[in-house]
Amino acid sequence: MSEESFLTDDFLRQLMNVGEVDIVVGLPTHNNAKTVGPIIQTIQSGILRGFPRERTAIINADGGSRDGTTDLVRGGSIGDVGAKSKVNALRTLHSISTDYSNSSDDSNGAAFRTILAAADLLRAKACVMMSPESANIEPEWVSKLLRPVLDDGYDLVTPTYRRHKFEGLLVTNLLYPMTRALYGVKIREVFSSEFGFSSGFGSKFLEQNVWDDRTYTGGAELRFTLAAITGKYRVYQTFLGDKMHVERRGAELVPALRQTVGALFSSLGPDFPAWSVADFASAPTNGSDHQVLLDPLRVNRKRLRAMFSTGILELESVFQSILSPETVAELRRIADMGENNFRLPAELWVKTVYEFAISYQKSAINRDHIIQALAPIFRGRVYTFLTENRDSSADEVEKNIEALCLEFERMKPYLLQMWKSIE
Amino acid sequence: MPLDRDTLWYKDAVIYQVHVRTFHDSNGDGIGDFRGLQSKLDYLQQLGITAIWLMPFFPSPLRDDGYDIADYHSVHSSYGSLEDFENFLGAAHDRGIRVIIELVANHTSDQHPWFQESRSSTDNPRRDWYVWSDTDTLYKETRIIFLDTEKSNWAWDPVSKAFYWHRFFSHQPDLNYDNPAVREQMWQVMNFWLQMGVDGFRLDAVPYLVEREGTNCENLPETHQVLKDLRRRLDENFPGRMLLAEANQWPADLRPYFGNEDEFHMAFHFPLMPRMFMGLKLEDRKPITEILQQTPEIPPSCQWSLFLRNHDELTLEMVTDMERDYMYDSYAASKTMRLNLGIRRRLAPLLSNDRRRIELMNGMLMSLPGTPIIYYGDEIGMGDNINLGDRNGVRTPMQWNGETNAGFSTAPSERLYAPLIQDPVYGFPAVNVLRQKTAEHSLFNWMQRIIAVRKSSAIFGRGSIEFLYPANHRILAYVRKLGNDAILIVNNLSSTAQAVELDLKRYKGNILIEMFGKNMFPRVGDLPYLLTMGPYQFFWFRLRRV
Amino acid sequence: MRALIIGELSTAFHEMVRGFAHFLPSLIVMLIIAVAGWLIAIIVKVILRSILRLIKFDKLSQNAGTSQLLAKAALPPATEVLSRFVFWVTWLGFVLLGIYLLGIFGLQDQIARVFVFLPRLFVAMFIMFFGLLAASFFARAALLAAVNANVPSPGVLSTAVRVIIIIFTTSMVFEELGLAEQTMVVAFGIAFGALMLGLAIAFGIGGRDLARHFLEKRFVHGKREDNNDELSPL
Repeated sequence: MSEESFLTDDFLRQLMNVGEVDIVVGLPTHNNAKTVGPIIQTIQSGILRGFPRERTAIINADGGSRDGTTDLVRGGSIGDVGAKSKVNALRTLHSISTDYSNSSDDSNGAAFRTILAAADLLRAKACVMMSPESANIEPEWVSKLLRPVLDDGYDLVTPTYRRHKFEGLLVTNLLYPMTRALYGVKIREVFSSEFGFSSGFGSKFLEQNVWDDRTYTGGAELRFTLAAITGKYRVYQTFLGDKMHVERRGAELVPALRQTVGALFSSLGPDFPAWSVADFASAPTNGSDHQVLLDPLRVNRKRLRAMFSTGILELESVFQSILSPETVAELRRIADMGENNFRLPAELWVKTVYEFAISYQKSAINRDHIIQALAPIFRGRVYTFLTENRDSSADEVEKNIEALCLEFERMKPYLLQMWKSIE
Repeated sequence: MPLDRDTLWYKDAVIYQVHVRTFHDSNGDGIGDFRGLQSKLDYLQQLGITAIWLMPFFPSPLRDDGYDIADYHSVHSSYGSLEDFENFLGAAHDRGIRVIIELVANHTSDQHPWFQESRSSTDNPRRDWYVWSDTDTLYKETRIIFLDTEKSNWAWDPVSKAFYWHRFFSHQPDLNYDNPAVREQMWQVMNFWLQMGVDGFRLDAVPYLVEREGTNCENLPETHQVLKDLRRRLDENFPGRMLLAEANQWPADLRPYFGNEDEFHMAFHFPLMPRMFMGLKLEDRKPITEILQQTPEIPPSCQWSLFLRNHDELTLEMVTDMERDYMYDSYAASKTMRLNLGIRRRLAPLLSNDRRRIELMNGMLMSLPGTPIIYYGDEIGMGDNINLGDRNGVRTPMQWNGETNAGFSTAPSERLYAPLIQDPVYGFPAVNVLRQKTAEHSLFNWMQRIIAVRKSSAIFGRGSIEFLYPANHRILAYVRKLGNDAILIVNNLSSTAQAVELDLKRYKGNILIEMFGKNMFPRVGDLPYLLTMGPYQFFWFRLRRV
Repeated sequence: MRALIIGELSTAFHEMVRGFAHFLPSLIVMLIIAVAGWLIAIIVKVILRSILRLIKFDKLSQNAGTSQLLAKAALPPATEVLSRFVFWVTWLGFVLLGIYLLGIFGLQDQIARVFVFLPRLFVAMFIMFFGLLAASFFARAALLAAVNANVPSPGVLSTAVRVIIIIFTTSMVFEELGLAEQTMVVAFGIAFGALMLGLAIAFGIGGRDLARHFLEKRFVHGKREDNNDELSPL
């Protein structure tokens, strides 16, 4: 088994001491000392409320934190040593930690892989991943993400959130509509940092995936969702509540694209047999599948538009290697438009994304460059979305997203046709 | 084999709890008696126990298994005469076995002449020997113990037209310890039996002796004063005799009962027992170590008394609601197994008759700090009969052999005080003393061995305890120490094989000698000491420097 | 006199005939070598072409920018050009080998020098090709990074990176070919300095956010809104 080689001796010893468990809570961290303490406590109270009798372990895969994150995690164990914890817990609740940053692969995927391997070795029945950054995690989340797995036999439980209509635009403008159009399953948060899954699915994913390739380990969470769809596993959505990050991190668009769009594009190749023929289905959902907040949000739209136009202008040579001449011309035309009537319409957006996917598959140029080149165009799309939905109500926003989904579906034959021409 | 002279004998003792009625019937009336019990003393000596705790054998209407006493100075006619008791006592002492009897001091039967007098009129001299009131609103903050049968701690007496106080059944009125005459009378009762030669008393229901308005009427300072008086008179007149407190309380609340070595010698550690069962089921040492961490230090001459099962239900008063639910679901799936706040089952059925678990639990009983008490029949793994009411299911006749009435009595079966266990697994044809004595690997022979090993070292009874906290929480490990001697005890609470690394740095250089086989294990070095343990396995190692 | 002339002529003729007879086998060998070389060159060309197609060399050269260059010069695709080049070099090698065997004085020296030079030429071409490839890759990387970091004039930056790498490559090529070594040492110095500058700029872009964050934390609080204006994409 490959996991034997990438798990350290120390970690294996910790796993040995934890022994067989029913539930594994996975917590990937990297310099999260500020938040990890309360999050561990919330997870623990979630476990104590929802699963007081189940054997549980919190497993932290850390990317080489230097701020004492791992000490906080380890110190969070509920046990009998020192009798410091006054928590009314039936059982010992181990909270263990390993540092994967010294292994050859230190991407986010390595953390997920470490947790999957640990859950597999501990023979956990169900596993839940938690984000170390959620500012508003509730104890109930643990139950909401695990109950469908433990009680109803679902294999993957993805969350839905109440979030601002302009938050998560990469999800609403690309990831959700595109996966829905191609794979035929309606999963709102295809990429989330909180989700639950069954041991069967987790182990299968661990075993089947190509982990040695770095391009594969990045965005493992999205690949995980896609694997659930293509593997015909049972997927469930559950409403968690507000999604809030500790800090807004707008500047990190390119890494986000790599993790999500990169993973999606690179999955299209191996998943072709599945998505080329997929029928449409909808994952069962507990609670609302989306909720929208409408309070005003300050956004520098001018900057967005400027970055789009500069991008189109400056990257024309790059786009010529990625996009069809017509699309390039169309983008140029839009880029030159005045501020008032500037708009990147859904159809052109979808076409652009599909052509990007094709070029990615062909490796027309370096794949990472392809992903980076998408950023300015996405900004243009964001600008358009903001403009179109500035005064929209929740329902109208949802209607627009639905329309975009349909556009992705309508254009699917275009993608298929191009795809077949390169094979 | 005469009795040893050590006044701390109770610290090294292994106590056997038995009701005379249940053990052996010498006269064929279907009820065990003192002559029968005496005839089985050789068996008990063989087992290796050093003391017998006899449950109440006094004249009584037997509405609460003898805990409703009608005469403190005599023996119930079914069990024989006072003379029979004296003979039994002498025979036990001849075998080096001490005898502890019950002192039900809190209450009497409503048939006791004292109560009859007390209720007869309000100006009777014995009127305030009991707690009378015109209303049933006093002491409202006091909890009701027998939730399943009693609605109130006050009962209406139609004879004297007043309410009387009772913490237990309504036919057991509480004595009034605010009355000096009652206190004097109780000492006279003790004096009577001590003169005869009994070695100690188990005092029943001690927290409840005195009542005060505005309190929960438990563990009151006045109660402690009553007990301290009795202890003082005991020490003055009969040194070397022992008082054992039955007080179902949290360890911190129990601590005052030891006083400053001037109250009880011993007290039951009630909260530990359910947590041992819980730890076993959870495969997690946390409940056990936690309760022992909360257990206060006690004076040097004092001792905890530990037990796995007794004549009552496995009490779950001293656990949290969550823990109680877990215990019910784990050990008493059927509602008929539950009684009050507890589980009315014997050891073997509780542990699914799993020999490894029975051995592990007994191993912990014998090695944790305290004096172990073995409930009669548990040494052969007797079963219970949950179809009998109240706690009678765990009080069925002792199973001596596979013949008629299990060798307990020659009376016709229907005349036995209680039916024998008949089911195929635990019934007397399958589980009996004769059979186990002849089978080399029987539980009886194993119990005999572990008692012998325990008696081989004073550390078990008198040593300190220090927990090791290996990262593997399925392993309960501790070191018992007395002077320069130390014993390492490692218990695997899990149903699966486990590896454990013990931090024995302090004992570096010692070799480990397994106490049952006397074999050597590797010397302790700088590295963590690695042990692999089978399912429910336990080790006792003597640490030896060579 | 006449007899003398005839004698001389016949001697000369005899010499010539003898010389020719002496030369003829060499010539035939040369011709055979030339023909065999032609055949071998064809085989090498065919093999090379299929290998290049297999490794998708055309795409690689497209990435390097050479394909575009070839297209502008109205030349066939890179695979074709390279395999034809190898064909001619191979065949020419054989022909030269044959000529060498003719033993013509003076020519032998020149041919030997050509043979010594040939491997260095190959290495130089190799360096040039990958240099162009690297230049194109890093220029694009810089361009994308600059655009996404919203750095002014990303095109200039990208071109600078490209030029630096090409200068560096060219200097290496000349070095390899042993031409104008002195000039190249100087040029290399300049190019290396420029490269370092490029790297400094690249790091500057990479560390920009970090530096800004640091500076903001230290000195300013007012400028923060700029960052907050962007939305979380996920």
